[in-house]
Amino acid sequence: MDRLSVLCFAGTYGLALASDLARFAVRSAARWYLTVGLTALGWIVQAAYLGNLAWSAGRIPVTTLFESLLALSWILAAIDLYLMVRSPKPVAVGMFVLPLVLALVVMAGVSTAPQQADWGAWGGATAFWGSVHGVFLVAGAVSTCVAFLAGLMHLVQSHRLKRKRPSPFEFALPSLEQSERLNRGAITLAFPLLTFGLLIGVVLGLASPSPNAMRLSWADPKVLSALAMWLVFAVLLHARYRPEMRGRRVMWLTAVAFGFLVFSWVGVEALRLPTAHHGVPRASGRGS
Amino acid sequence: MKLLALGVDHRSAPAAIREAVAFDGPKSAAGLDALRHGFPGGEFVVLSTCNRVEVYMAGDVAHVPETDALADFLARFHAVPAESFAPHLVSYHDEGAVGHLFRVAASLESLVLGEGQILGQVKQAFQEAQRREAVGPILNHVFQQALRVGKKVREETGLDQGKLSVASVAVDVAREVFDTFADKTVLVIGAGKMGDLTLQHLKTLLPGRILVTNRSPERAEAAAARFEGEAVPFDRLDAALIEADLVVSTTAAAEPIVTYDQYVRVQRARRNRLALILDIASPPDFDRRIGLLERVTLYHIDDLRAQAERNRKGRQKGVDPALAIIERETAACLASLQLKRSAGAVLRQLGTNADAVRHRELEALFAALPHLDASDREAIAHTICRVQNQTLHHPRAALRSAAAEPSHEQPHTLLNAFRHLFGLADL
Repeated sequence: MDRLSVLCFAGTYGLALASDLARFAVRSAARWYLTVGLTALGWIVQAAYLGNLAWSAGRIPVTTLFESLLALSWILAAIDLYLMVRSPKPVAVGMFVLPLVLALVVMAGVSTAPQQADWGAWGGATAFWGSVHGVFLVAGAVSTCVAFLAGLMHLVQSHRLKRKRPSPFEFALPSLEQSERLNRGAITLAFPLLTFGLLIGVVLGLASPSPNAMRLSWADPKVLSALAMWLVFAVLLHARYRPEMRGRRVMWLTAVAFGFLVFSWVGVEALRLPTAHHGVPRASGRGS
Repeated sequence: MKLLALGVDHRSAPAAIREAVAFDGPKSAAGLDALRHGFPGGEFVVLSTCNRVEVYMAGDVAHVPETDALADFLARFHAVPAESFAPHLVSYHDEGAVGHLFRVAASLESLVLGEGQILGQVKQAFQEAQRREAVGPILNHVFQQALRVGKKVREETGLDQGKLSVASVAVDVAREVFDTFADKTVLVIGAGKMGDLTLQHLKTLLPGRILVTNRSPERAEAAAARFEGEAVPFDRLDAALIEADLVVSTTAAAEPIVTYDQYVRVQRARRNRLALILDIASPPDFDRRIGLLERVTLYHIDDLRAQAERNRKGRQKGVDPALAIIERETAACLASLQLKRSAGAVLRQLGTNADAVRHRELEALFAALPHLDASDREAIAHTICRVQNQTLHHPRAALRSAAAEPSHEQPHTLLNAFRHLFGLADL
């Protein structure tokens, strides 16, 4: 059932992406409406699925990798829809956001990793702070993805302008100033979210009385990559006050932070590295 | 049915001739009124712009004047001898007239290929004709289609994409670098014609502040006054560069006036803010290496010209697809027009036949029942009239809807069925 649902979102987002890519061949306003329509359809179906998941589990669906990836892709799809509708039609936001949304949904679908720490199973304050930890990390991940995508658009636009290359027909990008502002805003938001998210995680790991609680280890690749990501964000925040660091360097650093995010979320699982984040198996949630 | 487009344009006539026969200002309404009175029964739209003066006419063959008669009308109306402009007149008939209007609306006939103004001008001409009640079903349909086709061609071919002048390309580049301009400072170095033109275009972005500097303080003051800016002494160039976000340089200096090392210092003092330099001087005023600096975008005049040329070629590529769309749409428009007229004729004939039958039968009934008084007769006549209208309502509505919907699958089959079922003559 889960795989089928995930296939539905992935298929719809895939079609939306194909429709957006068709901008180079199909010169019609109908193509834009089709892209927006398909993205909206995928988003609504995904919203219903996540809503049902939250309803049946009685909590916010951010405690497993599967749920977190779906929640992250759902929020990014909403941001994509908002930007597509707000920007002029030739602005190719979807070409950047939809591949990431699609990749996240596919990763959620193919993820065969064991269930992650389920704070809900421990009950009481731990369950509450576990959910807060998950929400903060997903929100931080959303900001990281937005910063990365804005940085990517900035790099492409900057490269094009430096080489004096004209935009192809029906393809435009946000101005350098706009993508930079979006990148800066997302970094500013990501840093406190990640800081609180990670701090709550560390405290939970150290203080949890449950024998099932994960053991916090500073050698855990997940912990290390999350800390590395946090450090990169600290540097990025510092770069705001260092004029010589502005511009493409910031964008590349954002890409590095995004790389750490991908590694800590998916890479550790994909490479089957030893991590204490494989918590208790859960009765509800993803049942593949 | 006959359609005629007659007039002069930038290809067929010099500006003086176009001006002599132009329908500008109040002449437009007066011209339409004069055409209606001069050629009753016809439909007219007058399109008068800087580059073309055209009269579109439509109606039954008897109501649409010949080109000579119209040339005489133009001569009388504008009080100019017909022989002064008649050799420059170009006419298009029927399908040619529709195709020409579609090409005009799509800006394929414009002086600047793909320019956007003409579609609005066609719309204005059409609306003026509607206000003067000079258009009927034919031109109504043709002009509505022209406006739709004009928009469709632009959307599907990119004919209006990319600017063609250096100044307007510069504005596009500015929009790709900056998002807002109210908080930006524009610095103009030099006070030449090209600088004026570029600044004129950049002013449409509503920049927060304009600084002008020149070796000649008087010229700087004059340019600053023209653009509501501030004049800056030339020896304060570095300070002005530090303040500026967007620089337009247009001096006649033989050597670059801003070196790489100088701008590195400036950029450091600017705290590495985004900068756009439009160096439209030849030879360049800014060292080319400045463009390699982080967060600095430098466009030389050659880059802007090359982009304008690429845009021109891009628009040219859209001409063939645009012509293909217009050919298709012209045929569809005429077919739909023909269908509407046929449907109209069938509906009229149907009404006439039904009325004739009703009158004949009522006369026979009243003759057979002479005791009926006037009020009874009126009530019976009224009832039969209502029965007739109600019986014919659905078939009439079906035919009207088929004629109004160009994508209807079998409108001609429906027309033939109507003729066959109601015993109507083939018109």
